[in-house]
Amino acid sequence: MASDRPIIRAENVSMEYARGGEVVRALGGLSLDVREGEILCIVGSSGCGKSTLLNIIAGFLKPTEGRVLLRDEPITGIDTRCGMIFQEYALFPWKTVQSNVEFGLKMKGVDKGTRRETAAKFIKLVGLEGFEKAYPAELSGGMRQRAALARSLANDPEILLMDEPFAAVDAMTRQLLQDQLVDIVAKTKKTVIFVTHSIDEALILSDRITVFSSRPGRVKAILKNDLPKPRSAAAQLSPRYLELKSQIWDSVQEEVLQQIALMERIQR
Amino acid sequence: MTTQPAKAAGGARSAPRPPWRHRYTAISAVSAICFIGLWELAAATGAIDPQFFPPPSYVWHELERLVADGSIFDFILVSTRRVLIGFVFSAGVGIPLGILLGTTKLIRWIVEPIISIIRPLPSLAWIPLSMLWLGLSEEQKYSIVFMGTIAPLVVFVTDATMRVDSIYTRAAQNLGAGRLRIMWEVILPGALPSIISALKVTLALAWTCIISAEMVGSTKGLGFLIWNGKDLSNISQVIIGMLAISLTVLALDTIIRGVEHRMLPWHRGQDKR
Ligand SMILES: Nc1ncnc2c1ncn2[C@@H]1O[C@H](COP(=O)(O)OP(=O)(O)O)[C@@H](O)[C@H]1O
Ligand SMILES: [Mg+2]
Repeated sequence: MASDRPIIRAENVSMEYARGGEVVRALGGLSLDVREGEILCIVGSSGCGKSTLLNIIAGFLKPTEGRVLLRDEPITGIDTRCGMIFQEYALFPWKTVQSNVEFGLKMKGVDKGTRRETAAKFIKLVGLEGFEKAYPAELSGGMRQRAALARSLANDPEILLMDEPFAAVDAMTRQLLQDQLVDIVAKTKKTVIFVTHSIDEALILSDRITVFSSRPGRVKAILKNDLPKPRSAAAQLSPRYLELKSQIWDSVQEEVLQQIALMERIQR
Repeated sequence: MTTQPAKAAGGARSAPRPPWRHRYTAISAVSAICFIGLWELAAATGAIDPQFFPPPSYVWHELERLVADGSIFDFILVSTRRVLIGFVFSAGVGIPLGILLGTTKLIRWIVEPIISIIRPLPSLAWIPLSMLWLGLSEEQKYSIVFMGTIAPLVVFVTDATMRVDSIYTRAAQNLGAGRLRIMWEVILPGALPSIISALKVTLALAWTCIISAEMVGSTKGLGFLIWNGKDLSNISQVIIGMLAISLTVLALDTIIRGVEHRMLPWHRGQDKR
């Protein structure tokens, strides 16, 4: 399924923020290829620039240096081919689930009947039938995130950018959402860049895992996740799983320790 | 499944309410009756001078007179009409302008100095100028309401607009929305709850404006009724005028609350939680 041609290519991307006269270097010359059809998970200590990279790919931010190519073309602005799923869901509270899911199509000028049909299809895909008329405030966290996923999918992006999307839901729901995501991605053939701080989550979801260095973020390691699919609960007890997990943990740990040392130095 | 707990919570909360509400109403009613009774008694025993502080029965007679010749209803309608027309103009300009100021820095910089000059002016300060320009016409009344409410309304709406979480704007952009669509689909509905609150506050302001405008230059309306009562030393008339203002504003408030409830269906869901 995954072809070798990168759908996204980040070339030497640096990002500096100005914060009160001080310059924060969030990304330091990061290069990364994302293959079409894969789920690429990004793990790294907090503050290492993961969200920054997603925001650059989505076109919300312009990198200070370097560039990002989408199918060999530089990204210059907000591009609807990259659908963003925020940790805070970002569903419009004043719209029902149905209208939220229809939003992207409405912006494209799709007629009402088609919009309704498409929305129904994706609401069904994420398992939210019966909640079309509900407002986001009436849904649980897990349901909100599924509605957000449906909203993004209905707009038919090529790439899903997911920024710690399941961090705010409880552990049981998270497991269900992970299974569902893998399923949906297989059905819809999307490319996914998935940021998480959970190594387990990365191992369950990913085709490949990249570990970021602490700030300024760079790719520290890339691992191929060759665990057999589907990755049931049993798979998490296999020797290979534990081997990969400790490998990633070692890599992350160094960076976390470095990050902590950095914080302590700043505080002093 | 998840809607059930919400309903259950709502049920649990509303169940113990009725007895409390009845008791509350009963206490209020008894208190009002006692107040009126004591007032009447005080006048009857000569403890207070009825000329100076007319008892409820005097006020009631005066009310009968004003109802019989229909003037009280006329005056309520005239004042309400002036408030509403002036207010519609104010909202029609103030809401779009506020949204524009909240979303466009350049326009904010251009308009803000004008707003900050107008804002501290009490509506009374506009009366001389409006009379010189517009005479004692109806338009003069509308203009007083307009000038007295536009600045605070614009400031409120600008503020409400700027407080709409930028994550919604980013989500909308990500789904392909352009600038205009974002204003219409994201900023306006996102700011709507605060805008409606702002409208409620400025509507009360509009009443202050119209009452003072009618006291100074009008032969109709509730402000005139009160002022005329003062000129005639008819204190009952003054009291009726004041009561009429209070009741009309309360009635309008109730209507607005109904409209608010219908316009913000998503807020009802949040109330439940
Ligand atoms: N808008 C901003 N202005 C200033 N600094 C920022 C801004 N956004 C992020 N940063 C800083 O850049 C670094 C990377 O942030 P981020 O990409 O959010 O990290 P992550 O998502 O990996 O936790 C952090 O140190 C953060 O404080
Ligand atoms: Mg982040």
